[in-house]
Amino acid sequence: MISAVTESAFTERREQDWTRLDELTRVVTARGIGALGPEQLVDLAPLYRNACADLARARAARYSAPLIEQLQALTAAAHAVVYGPYAHRGQAGLRSSRARRALEAFPRAVRARWRPIALASVLFFVPLVLGAVATLRHPEFALRLVPGGTLQELAEAYAKGFSEGRGIGASTGMAGFYVNNNVGIALRCFALGIFGGVGSAFFLVDNGLSIGAILGYVASQGAGDNILTFVVGHSSLELGAIVLSGGAGMSLGWSVVAPGERTRLASLQAAAREVVVIMFGAAAMLLMAAGIEAYWSSSPLPAAVKRGLGACLLVAVALYMTLVGRGARDPGTSHEATDGRWT
Amino acid sequence: MDEPLDTDVTIEAPEHIVFRHRVAGPGRRALAQVIDLCVCYGIVLVVSLTVIIAFAGLAGLKGAFGAVMDASMGIILVVMFAAQWLYSFLWEGLTGRSPGKVALDLRVVMVSGRPIGLGAAALRNVLRAADVLPAGYLVGVAAMALNRRFQRLGDLVAGTMVIVGGRPGRTAPLALSPPAEPFELAVLPPVVPLDVDERVAIELFLRRRATLGPARADELASILMAPLQARFGFRLPDATRTLALLYDRAVNVGRSEGPPSSRGAAGLWPLARPPYARRG
Repeated sequence: MISAVTESAFTERREQDWTRLDELTRVVTARGIGALGPEQLVDLAPLYRNACADLARARAARYSAPLIEQLQALTAAAHAVVYGPYAHRGQAGLRSSRARRALEAFPRAVRARWRPIALASVLFFVPLVLGAVATLRHPEFALRLVPGGTLQELAEAYAKGFSEGRGIGASTGMAGFYVNNNVGIALRCFALGIFGGVGSAFFLVDNGLSIGAILGYVASQGAGDNILTFVVGHSSLELGAIVLSGGAGMSLGWSVVAPGERTRLASLQAAAREVVVIMFGAAAMLLMAAGIEAYWSSSPLPAAVKRGLGACLLVAVALYMTLVGRGARDPGTSHEATDGRWT
Repeated sequence: MDEPLDTDVTIEAPEHIVFRHRVAGPGRRALAQVIDLCVCYGIVLVVSLTVIIAFAGLAGLKGAFGAVMDASMGIILVVMFAAQWLYSFLWEGLTGRSPGKVALDLRVVMVSGRPIGLGAAALRNVLRAADVLPAGYLVGVAAMALNRRFQRLGDLVAGTMVIVGGRPGRTAPLALSPPAEPFELAVLPPVVPLDVDERVAIELFLRRRATLGPARADELASILMAPLQARFGFRLPDATRTLALLYDRAVNVGRSEGPPSSRGAAGLWPLARPPYARRG
């Protein structure tokens, strides 16, 4: 049965609680749940539930629109606080175990999406090899893909070798460039996958061809050994990350094209929740690659050391992607993983 | 409840309470974006100048001008990267709103009404790269036009929406003033059944009354009164006063602690079942 109290009597009786809830909500919205003392924290949930009941009562009693609007705004704001992400903060295990979970989630997400990622590597490495072979046969082929001036500069730079090193200043400059350029490309490559995967595919083929052409051109000018020594250190991380973000982007696109038994939107959102982990991981890999490329690959260390370490890194990346996080699957993602078909 | 013809989104809480959120339209969001761009690249400019000046000073001390300038360029490029990819992501992921959105009272929430986390913030901001295509957020605006929540592609992927945060101020309930006179109570019908639309219309009018000139108020009140007069068969010389009396009785009838004007009816009026079915 509804309350048979006039609106002013109702307001007068409940107003104090609403004011208090409003204050607490504003504090949490501005400064986080940590700003509340234990007593305030205990009060928050009952105040919110009572306000919800008041809103229901006010609607049933058909009180005036401003009162209902005010209560609605109050409960909506409090709802955002009570059901906020704060519940998981700080109590869901130690920081170290959260980092570990993230480290395991990345390769798991990669394995769950191995088919689009395999397709992405084909779309990237086949043009790369084709570009390199075509340029080795006819060096002018590279000019169609990369401006001639850039090619010339690169060829001269690699012909010099790394005996003098680059100096910390120039290396830092290049590190900034790699972060800005490479991570930006990877994120864009991921984002444009939303258009049915076409954007990612374009980025992959385009970058593959250009990189192949540059490798081929520098090699055709006689500095092939030098450029291989240079790229071997960071390429497993850098090229791997581009392929991963491209594969993640194509997963997004494919989830719209072939949503299976869900609506297209639901399928897209489910895929996005899964592959966002891959996007973060690829960005982290590129940050590492930028560090290696700027400070290690250009250093005057002997070629054998660089190649040996590059090979070790490649093996480490491969082992990480294939082995880490096996067995310890959490139920949430394993369900999603089997659901996201790639046919 | 019938759907309002408005840019509102309704959400049901676990307490079975239905909230309405007002969804922000493209104009307001574009303005917020412009403010964000100004703030963000303003910071980039200041940081870049500081770095250049600091490093130029360093170069003056050490002498290796070229190398030091190279390093400062590297740092500036990292700052540019952060401006493009991290600024909105971190603001929205950690607080739900960027400075531009604060300025226009906007907030990013999940479509369920809950606050967004870092994952959703990352998705909606990385997908910005698709929304800005081919120029000036054309793809984003096209996507916004095609759904009820004004979601651009990034919002669709992340399951987020941008709402207008406005909290309406507190308004006192309407009270009949001055209180009803005996002669008014004598003519007032004991029961005034109004349907929801009529009640809301009268309420809106009574709340606006103070801002209207007397002639205009009387004119509007007469328009409102016309159908009611036919139904209840009475009207006082002052149409506004008549509306106030009718409203007061309709709203407060049968409620305890009500003013005398609401005590005409014998017993409780069955408020739970309004005499007029709601429309729609």
